[in-house]
Amino acid sequence: MDEMKIDENGNGRVMEQENERTEGYDRLSYPLKEFKVFEPLFRWARKKSIWIITFCTGCGGIEMPPLMNARYDLERFGMMPNPSPRMADLFLITGYVTPKTLKRIIITYEMMEDPKYIMSHGSCPINGGVYWDSYNVVKQLDRYIPIDVSIAGCMPRVEAVMDGIMEIMRKVERGEADGWKRYRDNYEWYRRNQDELFGKGWRKETARRWLKWL
Amino acid sequence: MIDWKLVLEAIGMVIYATFVGFIFMGIERKAMARIQRRVGPPIYQPIIDVLKLLGKREAISHGFIYDFGPIFALGVSITALLFIPIANFHLFSSNADLIVVAYLLEVPMLGIMLGAMSTGNPYSAVGVQRGLLTMVAMQLPYGLAIIALAQHYGTFSLNSIVALQGIHGWSLFVPALFLAFIVFDITFQAMLGLEPFDIITAPAEVSMGPMVEYGGKHAALLFTQHAVQLFAETAFFTVLFLGGAGNLGVFFLKQLAVLFLAIFIASIFPRFTIDQAAKFFWKWPTILGIIAVLLTMGW
Repeated sequence: MDEMKIDENGNGRVMEQENERTEGYDRLSYPLKEFKVFEPLFRWARKKSIWIITFCTGCGGIEMPPLMNARYDLERFGMMPNPSPRMADLFLITGYVTPKTLKRIIITYEMMEDPKYIMSHGSCPINGGVYWDSYNVVKQLDRYIPIDVSIAGCMPRVEAVMDGIMEIMRKVERGEADGWKRYRDNYEWYRRNQDELFGKGWRKETARRWLKWL
Repeated sequence: MIDWKLVLEAIGMVIYATFVGFIFMGIERKAMARIQRRVGPPIYQPIIDVLKLLGKREAISHGFIYDFGPIFALGVSITALLFIPIANFHLFSSNADLIVVAYLLEVPMLGIMLGAMSTGNPYSAVGVQRGLLTMVAMQLPYGLAIIALAQHYGTFSLNSIVALQGIHGWSLFVPALFLAFIVFDITFQAMLGLEPFDIITAPAEVSMGPMVEYGGKHAALLFTQHAVQLFAETAFFTVLFLGGAGNLGVFFLKQLAVLFLAIFIASIFPRFTIDQAAKFFWKWPTILGIIAVLLTMGW
């Protein structure tokens, strides 16, 4: 677990992997401008209109339909399931994640446009949950993609999910949901962890197979 | 020499149409939610959505045509809007604006398709295929309804149609034109992209169809375009069948009636598949349209 000790900025000894950076993903290098005047307005708008990408993993997906229905209507907060990764803001990791799913999650997450947020359901993305000794479940998802809000429980009930949603709305309004900034700043560290799990060059080998049009 | 009054009126009309279009989109979502016994979003929700999309930090582009598509669509929608006589604002009205508006309202879809095809996404390609097939299918009944109207009133000018309806009563209450009204209302669902003809953007099948690669500021442009388009289409419907109006308030109420008719139809019908939709368009609305045209010929 010594790779966890790398400092927040992603500097330190991971910099020797510079050549990896140039290989595929250079969208992270756009300049980060902040319009100070409009920022409160945009934060309010982001809070009131969070679109969820419809990508459900594991067993938590079945908890989502009740959230959309008449009882806990999510749309009153302006939330909406949206199948297109380009338009979505919130990524729900609903349950355990296998390495095979994690590849899809990373590719989909990188397709989304900043600012983007991740909320994880249940204990499996936190520490493996009931799959703590499984060879094929990702134990600590935070090492591969940045998570803004985690909901504990196995499975969290709908009320708990609602609580997590309120939490992420508060965080978005205060500007604390900065997972996308962490991913941007510590990209080498995340990239190194991903490469450790999947082997180097996995993007080229596997992702191009599904996303031929990229 | 520039007619400054016309310029100011045109700018004001575009701003008014965008705002009311957003409110219409909000009403659409709210009414759907209330029909499903949900609380639903506030009716200004589309404005928040557009603000959020404009506030996105990144703008992914797939080339010039990808950027050009939404701008082209928005421009055509605004042009179509300015040709329609809305209440007492007759901005670009001319002799044959019925034909112009009827075709300009179809063109924005082509702009979106142009941008969507340039992304190379297979979902976009399927969506574009479906969109073009829907357009081809709905052209025939749409054209027949408009031919029936033009034949009954003997003019292609929207202004004269409004004036004649002021004298003889709404065209909705003329028996032959009532058939045309039914035909136009069926194609209207497809024009707005609502059920049962929301085949193009079918979210559960082709994940937003042509819009799948659009995000951030491009999507905000497309939303604005949809708002203007919604306003223009309801205004066109109002002018053709509900007799236009003397002022903006009455016109707004008539547009709202048209919108609610579309929402109620959309909320009770499931979605057609594309082959069923084409078959449907070329069967029942076409037959009704031909009867309407024949009736307006004789009497």
